[in-house]
Amino acid sequence: MRSLTNFTPATFEERGAAVAFTTPVLAQTRVRKDERDQLEVLIPNLSEGRGVYVVAWKGLPLAFPMTVHDRMLQDLIAKNGGCSPDDLRKAAMEVARLGLAGPEAQEAAEAAHKDDEEQRLLINFQLIGEVLKAVGLESTDILRAGLASEQGQRLTRTYMIKAGQHLGIEPTELYLRVAELASAMEPIGLVSSPKPARLRRLMGELVRFRDSIADWATDNVSEAAPIGGFCAEVAEHTLNHVRTVIGRLDGAVASFEVLLRQWDTQRKVVRQACTRLSWLLDGWEFITALWAESQGKSRHELDIAVHEIFRIIPLLPRNEDKVDLSLEAGKVFTLNRRAVRAYVDWRTGQLDADLVMRIEALKGRAA
Amino acid sequence: MSTAPAESLLGLGDKLLEIDEGKFRQVVGLLEHMGDHPDVLRTFSMIRPRLAELRPKRRPTLKRLFCEPFEDLFDPVLPGEKTPVNTIERAVINHLWPLVEGQLGSEALAAFAAQQREATDAGNAAAAAELAEAFWAAAAEAVRTVALLLETGRLTEAMDLRISPERMRAVQDIATALAIAPALADLKRALAPKPLAKLHQDHLDEVQAIGRRLAKADGHALKVFVLVAAARLADPSLLLGALWHMDFGQKPADRAALFAELSGSVVSHIEERARAMGEGKPGAADRLAVADLAAGLVASLDATRKAMEVSRRSEFDQRLKQVRGAVHEMVRTQLLAGAETDILGTVETAVGKDGVKQAENHARALRKCATIADSLGLRTELRQVTDKTVSALTGAAQQVLGGSQQAAAADPRAGYAAIRMIELISGPVEANRILGEILDRARPL
Repeated sequence: MRSLTNFTPATFEERGAAVAFTTPVLAQTRVRKDERDQLEVLIPNLSEGRGVYVVAWKGLPLAFPMTVHDRMLQDLIAKNGGCSPDDLRKAAMEVARLGLAGPEAQEAAEAAHKDDEEQRLLINFQLIGEVLKAVGLESTDILRAGLASEQGQRLTRTYMIKAGQHLGIEPTELYLRVAELASAMEPIGLVSSPKPARLRRLMGELVRFRDSIADWATDNVSEAAPIGGFCAEVAEHTLNHVRTVIGRLDGAVASFEVLLRQWDTQRKVVRQACTRLSWLLDGWEFITALWAESQGKSRHELDIAVHEIFRIIPLLPRNEDKVDLSLEAGKVFTLNRRAVRAYVDWRTGQLDADLVMRIEALKGRAA
Repeated sequence: MSTAPAESLLGLGDKLLEIDEGKFRQVVGLLEHMGDHPDVLRTFSMIRPRLAELRPKRRPTLKRLFCEPFEDLFDPVLPGEKTPVNTIERAVINHLWPLVEGQLGSEALAAFAAQQREATDAGNAAAAAELAEAFWAAAAEAVRTVALLLETGRLTEAMDLRISPERMRAVQDIATALAIAPALADLKRALAPKPLAKLHQDHLDEVQAIGRRLAKADGHALKVFVLVAAARLADPSLLLGALWHMDFGQKPADRAALFAELSGSVVSHIEERARAMGEGKPGAADRLAVADLAAGLVASLDATRKAMEVSRRSEFDQRLKQVRGAVHEMVRTQLLAGAETDILGTVETAVGKDGVKQAENHARALRKCATIADSLGLRTELRQVTDKTVSALTGAAQQVLGGSQQAAAADPRAGYAAIRMIELISGPVEANRILGEILDRARPL
C-alpha cells in the first residue's frame, strides 16, 4: 500500500472508475491499471487528510475485511481484466443478481439487466429507422408487422438492401455499422427514444441533484453547507461537459447519412463521445441515489450524506476541465476540516453492519 | 397583511405540511410577520416537524434570541429524535415569553429589537454578538424575577399554564442558561455538529476549559451547562462516564452533587426509554429495531454503571438492574426465540422480497446481539442459537454450491442466499471462509 498526498489525476483513466463495493471503507473507491497493466484500487481519506491510498487489487482482501459480495466482485473484475465504467457495471450487476447485496439490490440488478436488453432492441430498431429515413424510406411497415416477427424481419432485410444500394454500402456492411453504433450508443440511446436510456436518465438525475443540493446549501445554516455548495459546483461542471458530448452525439445521429458515408472518421467520433460520456457520469449514480435517499431525513443525516458525497465525488480530471477541481476540493476540505472530522465512521475500516446495509439499499436505488 | 388572508393562511392547517417547499418557505415568512398571536403559535407548533426538516431562514426575533442558549433542551420535534435529559417544554416558553417582555418593559424591548434589526440588516456579526450578550443578561434577570413571583404564586394566573415542580425547574434552568449564555455559545461551538456520536479528547478538553471558567463565576450554573452538553450528544450517558474525570475546579462535595444530579437525570431517562420499549410490541418486521433499541439501552446502562463504579455510588443499582432485566427478557423472547426457523425458512422456500428482508433483519439483529449478550448474561443462549442456525445454513449452501449432481440442477442463488445469511449472522470473515471451503471442495482436482 502506498499513499498519494496530492492526487490530481490528469485523465479519466488515471482517476479510475468507481466500483460498487458494499464494504463501507471501499464504497465507490476507484480502480485503474498501473504501468504494468495490473489492477490497483485508490482509496480516499483513510485518515483525516486528503489524498488517496493505492492498494494492489490482489492485496485488497488482506488490507480490508470485505463482504462476501465484494470478494466475489473483486474476483470477477480480476478475472474479466477490464476496468472501464461499463466493465465494472456489468460485473457489479452479475454479482448483485446472485443476491449477495440483498433482495433490493438483486431486484434492481434484474430490472437493470432487463432494461439493458430492452434498450438494445429499441436502439437497434431506431437506428434501422434512421437508416431508412436517411434514404427516404418508411419504417412504419416494419413496425406494423412487428419487429420480431418473421414478416417484420423480412421487410427489414428488404429495406436495408434498398438502403445499402442507395448509400453505396454493402448490406452486410450496413448491418455491421448499425450493430456497432447500437452497441456503442446503447447506454445513451437516441434523443427521440420513447424511453430514455440509462445515461440520459442519469443526466436528468444529476440535474435534479445539482438543483436540490444547491438549494439546500443556499438556504442552510449547517456547517456542511459550503461542502454541499461545492458538490453542486462539481455537478454543474460535469453537466456542462455531458451536455456538450450528448449534443455532439445527437448531432451526429441527426445527420445520419453523413455518419454512414463518412464512417471511418465518424465512428471514432461516436465511440469516443460514448466512452467519454460513460466516464463523465461514472460514480454519479450512487451519489444521486444517496442524496435522494437522504431527503426528508434529519439535519444530522443530511450533513452526513453531504460529507460522504464529498468524500467520493467524481472530480473531473485536470485535462478535462478549465477549473482544477482537485485543488478546489482541497480548499473546501481545509476550510471545513472541523466539520468533516465528526464523520469518521465511513473511514474507520471497521465493517459496520448498519453502514453495509445502507450501501446495499443504495445499490437497490442506483443499479 | 389584511385579516382575511391572514385567517385563510391559518386555516390551511395540515395542508401546510404538504405544500411544495417554495410555498412553505413563503408561508413561514408571512406567518412570522403576523407576530405572536395564539393562532400563529398553534400553526407553528403544527408545522414544526417540517420547519425542523427544511430549516427555512427565519427572521431573527428577540424571542428566538431568547431561546438560543437553551434550545438544545427543547422537547424533540421529529419522530425518532432523542429526548434531552431535563426537557424544557415549548409551551413553557410560549407562556413565559410574554411575562419576560412585561418585565423587560416596552422601551427596552423596542431598543433591543431596533439594534437587532440594525445588526441583521448590516450583516454586522460583532454588533449582533454584543446585542445578544446584553439581551441575555437582561432576560436572565427578568426570568429570575418571574421565577420568584411564580414561586410566591403572584404570576400564576398571568402565566396561564399549570405550574408543576417540573415546569418551575424548567423556568429556573432557563434563567440560569440565559445568565451563562456566552459560555453555552462556546460550548455549542465545541460540541458541534449536534448530535455528537462520540466524545473525543479535544471535545472533553474544551468542555472542561469552558466549565472551569464558569465554575469560577457561578458554581450553580454548571448543572445547566452539563445538561446542555449532554443534550448535544447522541447518548447523554457518554458524558456521565467522562464527567467524573473532569476537573471544573470545584470542591469535592460540589463535584459529587453535580455528578449525582446528572446521574439521577440520566437514570430516569434510561428508565423512560425502557418503559417506552415495553409499551411497543414490535412485530417480526421490527426485529432489527428491537436489537438497536436493546444495544442503545445496554450502552447507556454500561456507561452509567461504569460512572457509578468510578464514583462509588450505589443508590441507582437497583433501578439499573431492573432496566437490564427488562432488556434481557426482550432480547430473549423477541430475538433469540424462533430465529433458526425464521432464517432458514427463507433459504429453503421462496418467500418473496419482503420475507427475505424480514429474515435478513432477524439475522442482523442476532449479530447486533453479540455485542450486548455478555452484558445481558445471554452469551450461551445466543451462541447456541447462532451455531445451530449457521450450521444449518452451511448445510444448505453445501447442497447447492457443493458440486454434486443434485447441486448442478439447483439454482445457485439459493446457495448464495444461505451464505449471505451466514454473513449477516457471523460476519464476512466466517462467511467468506465457509464459501471458500465449499467452492474449493466443489472444484475438480
